[in-house]
Amino acid sequence: MTSLVLTVRETLRYRGAIGQWSWVLHRLTGVGVALFLALHVIDTSWAVFYPALYVKAIAAYQSPLFTIGEFGLVFAVVYHAFNGIRIAIFDYKPELWRHQAQAAVAVLVLTLLVLAPVFLGMASHVVDFYFTEAAIAGEKMFDVVVFSILEQLPFIAGFVAVLAAAIVLAAVYSLIRGEGGQRGKYPEASGIERFWWSFMRLSGILIVPLVFGHLALMHVVQGVFDITAAQEVAGTMSSNGTIGAAPSAVEFVYHRWSYAAGGVFIWRVYDLFLLVLVTLHGFNGLRYVLTDYTSFNDFARRTSVALCTVMAAVLLAVGAAALFVPLEKDIIDEAMAATAEIYELRGEELPAELEAYLSEDV
Amino acid sequence: MDVTFRIRRQNPDVPGQERPYWQEFSLADVDPTDRVLEMLHRIKWEQDGSLSLRRSCAHGVCGSDAMRINGVNRLACKILVRDVGEKIQVEPILGLPVVKDLIVDMEPFFDHYKQVMPFFVNNDPLPEDGRERLQTQEDREKFDDTTKCILCACCTTSCPSFWANGHYVGPAAIVGAHRFIFDTRDQAGQERLDILSEPNGVWRCRTIFNCTPACPRDIEVTKAIGEVKLAIRKGTNVGIIQTSAIH
Repeated sequence: MTSLVLTVRETLRYRGAIGQWSWVLHRLTGVGVALFLALHVIDTSWAVFYPALYVKAIAAYQSPLFTIGEFGLVFAVVYHAFNGIRIAIFDYKPELWRHQAQAAVAVLVLTLLVLAPVFLGMASHVVDFYFTEAAIAGEKMFDVVVFSILEQLPFIAGFVAVLAAAIVLAAVYSLIRGEGGQRGKYPEASGIERFWWSFMRLSGILIVPLVFGHLALMHVVQGVFDITAAQEVAGTMSSNGTIGAAPSAVEFVYHRWSYAAGGVFIWRVYDLFLLVLVTLHGFNGLRYVLTDYTSFNDFARRTSVALCTVMAAVLLAVGAAALFVPLEKDIIDEAMAATAEIYELRGEELPAELEAYLSEDV
Repeated sequence: MDVTFRIRRQNPDVPGQERPYWQEFSLADVDPTDRVLEMLHRIKWEQDGSLSLRRSCAHGVCGSDAMRINGVNRLACKILVRDVGEKIQVEPILGLPVVKDLIVDMEPFFDHYKQVMPFFVNNDPLPEDGRERLQTQEDREKFDDTTKCILCACCTTSCPSFWANGHYVGPAAIVGAHRFIFDTRDQAGQERLDILSEPNGVWRCRTIFNCTPACPRDIEVTKAIGEVKLAIRKGTNVGIIQTSAIH
């Protein structure tokens, strides 16, 4: 902790140039996106494994607090992407270093240029939601959020379990390896850091088009509010038919992942690439950040490494499982019941179609 | 002109001064072209003899008076009052243990430097004429910039990665390694690349660029680090730096 406190305090005091502030922003946005990624992969996998929980998670995402968070997330991704390209350029072409400060300014300008239309698009979804689609009283919305978060306590329990696993792994590893191994003549040199350095830059560049496509589709063309309102799923050409008149969040996911073009589930393939690249990039980045501030203590450093490894492994396993599992129609039935609960919490009347669907089911 | 100094002080041996504190000093009759080092001398000689700082040549060559002046690492002997203004804040460089006032313990810094084998290695017999080992002007040009280092630690102690993790070898040691890695007459380049490929070697560099403007010798520090990274990535020091200099 002392290392982190000292670095934060002195970074604020040291009058570094724009490169220093780019680094600060790169770190903050990177950690923010990585933490969101953990939430996002696990929540989305619930669409397949615990449909009712997914419906409630989406209801929480539709609350004002998360809306603000969504704007922050999109800023973070866009800035991190452009600044990452800047870093990769100067890492591979160090002789261009004199242009790095201009490039840092260009990154900021480019970020703002891209964000202006994107934020307008996102804001239009927010406006639609509050003024035309749903008229939810403020205190009701609060109930929905509290309820949704309580329902998702298993997520926090899972996180605690991962943390515990990391501490145990680090302890076991420390018993085997003993202390030390920090300084002296390259005890840990194995080319592994060289691999990760190249991987971060290559994966970063591959991720940019993938994640921009994902953001465009899920935050601009159709936002989180459309998940429970849209009659069609963008990017599926409606070939699987339109969503029912009382759409649930799960149905949206179901249609996207069921869409096959030429016999290939293209969105599952797309999401799989995104999952693998982003998880490895994100959690190796988190490892960089954590080990920077824990290297004064072997055990703390190993716990950080184990934490990132376990989290990445869990996300890859859960995410891949959700992508590979054959989708059954009955997840939609489960989701419908949960959707009805959300309607009740919001104090809205159940749409006739949903009521009909539920009574039919019973 | 009148100048106000605000100096970060600390003396572990005196009760009440173990923790760092700020002390202000006022100086009159200061010429804008006076060096900050001379003003520190005046404070020490005329106002408070207990103020401790390190300096030797006082002309920007020995590298012993690196300090953080108005928030940026500088040599006190190379920076003029007019460059920093009437309010001057001076504190020790960051990341090394403070011994007293502006004096830090440089041993950890030199330990890192020693790790990269900063000396010429060539076990071949001397040339027939018994004189120097020759190389082309182009080959000499490749490491010309990094020969200028005076080991003042301005770069290393401006690096947020080093502040966070004192095990990180730091910019200065990488500059020192660069000087030999890209010397075609040297034979231990690969060994240095292996050392710097360690987790606390070059990979802790996040390309922040604080080190480059901090260098009082105008060494292109971040560029040098970048070239070492590329050499490790390609597994060779050959073909990394292109020079066209013919003097």
